[in-house]
Amino acid sequence: MALSLKSIKSHFPIFTHRPELIYLDNAATSQKPRSVIQTITDFYEKENANVHRGLYELSADATQRYEGVRKKICNLMGASIPDTIAFTKGATESINIVAQGFLKKNLHKGDNVVVSAMEHHANLIPWQQVCKQTGSSLEIIPVDDRGELVLEAMHNLLNNRTKLVAVTHISNVLGTINPIEEIISLAHKKNIPVLVDAAQSVGHYPLSVERMNLDFLVFSAHKMFGPLGTGVLYCNEKFTRQVDPFIYGGGSIKNVEFTHTEFLDYPYNLEAGTPNIAGVIGLGAAIDFIHQLDLNETTNHTSNLRNYFKERLRSSGNFKFVGNPENSGSIVSFNADNIHPHDVASFLAHEHIAVRAGHHCAQPLLESMGVPATVRASFSIYNTRDDVDKTIEALVELKKFWS
Amino acid sequence: MKGELKKLYTEIIKAHNDAPFHFRKIGDAPHTIKAYNPICGDRFEIFVDSSSTKINALHFHGFGCAISKASTSVLTRSMEGKSLEEALELCNNFLDFINKEIQPETSILSDDFLAFSGVHDFSERYDCATLSWREMKKFLESRQPKHEN
Repeated sequence: MALSLKSIKSHFPIFTHRPELIYLDNAATSQKPRSVIQTITDFYEKENANVHRGLYELSADATQRYEGVRKKICNLMGASIPDTIAFTKGATESINIVAQGFLKKNLHKGDNVVVSAMEHHANLIPWQQVCKQTGSSLEIIPVDDRGELVLEAMHNLLNNRTKLVAVTHISNVLGTINPIEEIISLAHKKNIPVLVDAAQSVGHYPLSVERMNLDFLVFSAHKMFGPLGTGVLYCNEKFTRQVDPFIYGGGSIKNVEFTHTEFLDYPYNLEAGTPNIAGVIGLGAAIDFIHQLDLNETTNHTSNLRNYFKERLRSSGNFKFVGNPENSGSIVSFNADNIHPHDVASFLAHEHIAVRAGHHCAQPLLESMGVPATVRASFSIYNTRDDVDKTIEALVELKKFWS
Repeated sequence: MKGELKKLYTEIIKAHNDAPFHFRKIGDAPHTIKAYNPICGDRFEIFVDSSSTKINALHFHGFGCAISKASTSVLTRSMEGKSLEEALELCNNFLDFINKEIQPETSILSDDFLAFSGVHDFSERYDCATLSWREMKKFLESRQPKHEN
């Protein structure tokens, strides 16, 4: 039976310790349910051992649990081969692996990589740098005033020198849900692989990498109720043999000589050094938690909160939305007229309301929209209409304070 | 709640934020100092017209929160016309004051400086208050005559 959203807050210990907290910075990191925290504590207290190394029971158990999480991830996102899942530090590292370990050797002077204007720096800088390193060009799919991708422009950007398209599923600034299936189909018509940054969507929105015919997908555990420092790279089976190690060390090898190393196959070739075992097992616990939720109910809930927030903000006057996409996640960016986002966030912080202010690691996007910074509210399953009401009241107070 | 925030956003800070001192771009300034905070996106440029010994004119332009904008405004107003040495001393005084190494009652602090006392209770705003001053300090240090120790 699905967990009830009415009592969902009680599963998150932070709200017991800080009952006054109104947490609207979920796009930065989600709070963690008790089951995830407990799983990590239990691992360190009762089960701690290294993986793939020891011949004793404790290590064998740790290995089994660690490896078992690849299957859980497959179930969560519609993949069928556990060995398509590599564990990384996070979405950022996953993207760097694809840029340096897969793309770079195929990228030559005159080639290009296509990204969108709404990318997080994590899905921009790795491509920008690999293009610089190889004399290739980075092409940008523009974003319109509503905060939606201009897909017609993408048609013109894709050509026979395009080696990869990298695009976010959900914008961390504007909340836009991008039509990734359409983007994938456009790219695949020209045999171009696609990487999707799903940091804002995995665990919150339905995704099926095989049905969507995805080539690469990346996400971080900490934005989906899991621990910090753990992430995932999904690589379609057809490319796994083309992804080379990004860092080198123990655990990733078949055979080492002083002058030569033979690496394990993907994904183990990427997991050099002792991995974040507790983090991966914690990610497994986060997936178990998500399986107890009714995903339709949770997306309805967060969409309703987003709509309610926008509606109330609109009628409170003098607030401007930054982007207003038709198909949107639970993220709203706005500005309070002449009051700087930082000052808005400080004011809200005094009412125990946590929002984000700044450029949200998407500086070029905001510059292209002519806004230096925004205030961002992002909703999750434990937020309530009362959270929205209190935030709106505080914003109305803020206007009075600054008038 | 409002009381605490009033201590942060003092009338002097609000006044500097609303009408900052010498707030305009100078296209041909001899020196342009960039005061950028990549965390929050604040971006100021400080335009310096100085001789080898003195700051003749200071202007600034850009985007930032009320605290960073007001503190840059106080910087330009307090340093214009000062010798490079005096300007560096002002920088050190302001930064020491924000870092709580100078007590507010000390007579060397002007009212414009004291207006930032509230920042002491908002540690997350230290960077806002000191952004331009830290960059200005680097600039001034690079231009001070080297003393023999």
